Amino acid sequence: MMSPEIKARVLAVVGAEPSPTRTAVNLRNTLLNMLAGVGGMVAFVVFALFMSDSHLLRLGGQVSPQQHLERSIWLVATTAGGALGVAATAVWLALWRGRSMLGRSRSSLLYGSVLIPISLFAWKVICSRAFGYPMIAWPQRPGLKCLALSLLIATGPLLAFLAVRRRALVRPALNGASMGIAAGACAWVAVDLWCPVASVPHLLLGHVLPLCILAAVGAVLGDAFLSVRSHH
Amino acid sequence: MERYANGNDAAFSALYDAIAPRLLSFLSKATRDAAATEDLVQQTFLQMHRARGSFIRGAPVMPWALAIAKRLMIDGTRRRRLELGVFRHASADDERRGYEPSATTATADEVLDGRRLEERVQQQFDALPETQRSAYGLVKLEGLSLKAAAQVLGISVTAVKLRTHRAYVALRGVLREAVEP
Repeated sequence: MMSPEIKARVLAVVGAEPSPTRTAVNLRNTLLNMLAGVGGMVAFVVFALFMSDSHLLRLGGQVSPQQHLERSIWLVATTAGGALGVAATAVWLALWRGRSMLGRSRSSLLYGSVLIPISLFAWKVICSRAFGYPMIAWPQRPGLKCLALSLLIATGPLLAFLAVRRRALVRPALNGASMGIAAGACAWVAVDLWCPVASVPHLLLGHVLPLCILAAVGAVLGDAFLSVRSHH
Repeated sequence: MERYANGNDAAFSALYDAIAPRLLSFLSKATRDAAATEDLVQQTFLQMHRARGSFIRGAPVMPWALAIAKRLMIDGTRRRRLELGVFRHASADDERRGYEPSATTATADEVLDGRRLEERVQQQFDALPETQRSAYGLVKLEGLSLKAAAQVLGISVTAVKLRTHRAYVALRGVLREAVEP
């Protein structure tokens, strides 16, 4: 039973609260994405300046007093280029909703969240092997700096992705996790330019673990901020 | 919704008229509480109003509205920690019309049998798990497609089929017992 009173009340409530139009939202999202990109780059530059003797691109380094390793520029371009492609896919998976307001299916988000880190890790290992780059452990580089750098760079994009999406009616936690993975994948590209170490334990601690942490943080934030709440 | 998303505020009234009846029907069946239904309708439209700028061109509106309503209802239920009978029939009178034999042809016994059967079906429906009632309600009562219902509930199409079928089998069992005692 439709009542004119309900309609009048709804119209009054809606009329009393301004809401952004599509044009305003598109502009806001563009600014947020630009801010996220700039924020990530600033974080990378600041980290490099203070923690890495102003090196944004590190081709190699001293493994031990007797051993020096250096990557070819082609190896860096291949790994970073492939990672960039995976990161673009991750962002597309996390933010693009197709033609439905309800977003992606659970399986798409779940498979994406699992396959993105695996793809990045596999690509790094495959490229290192293909180019004959030694995947040996560096005693001075267990992976903690890479872990910190990844989290630092990914924080801005993750917050921006959450702000761009604003609402996820279904599976808010999984959507948040997907955004965390996407932000982490973007950070992976920058870290890949900076880090010459290719040993598997280092990659797992410094490169893959941040993706897992960001997915967990994204899930918590997604559940808290993306889900629809009554009486807000 | 397209016009409203683009900033035409006057389009909201038409949007309300287009989706409010189904929304009210859905929510009244779900809550069986007129005040709660009105509150949820108001909140649903408010959420749609807030999100109009992010509305995707060409996206179906009804599954979106129903999904908002369902999430608000779940959240409200969690907040109040009350047991809400989801998808119970809002108006017993409306449903009775469907089952009640015609007054001109039915005997008193038939009317009584019809009401008893309706009560048993209602009891069986209420005894179903919430997941089955939700799926059955969206597909059979609201007429949503399996894909749309799956999106609203946040589950796969296969799961919707399975839940709807289980609810259907349970309700059919009651009817079969009534016909073949």
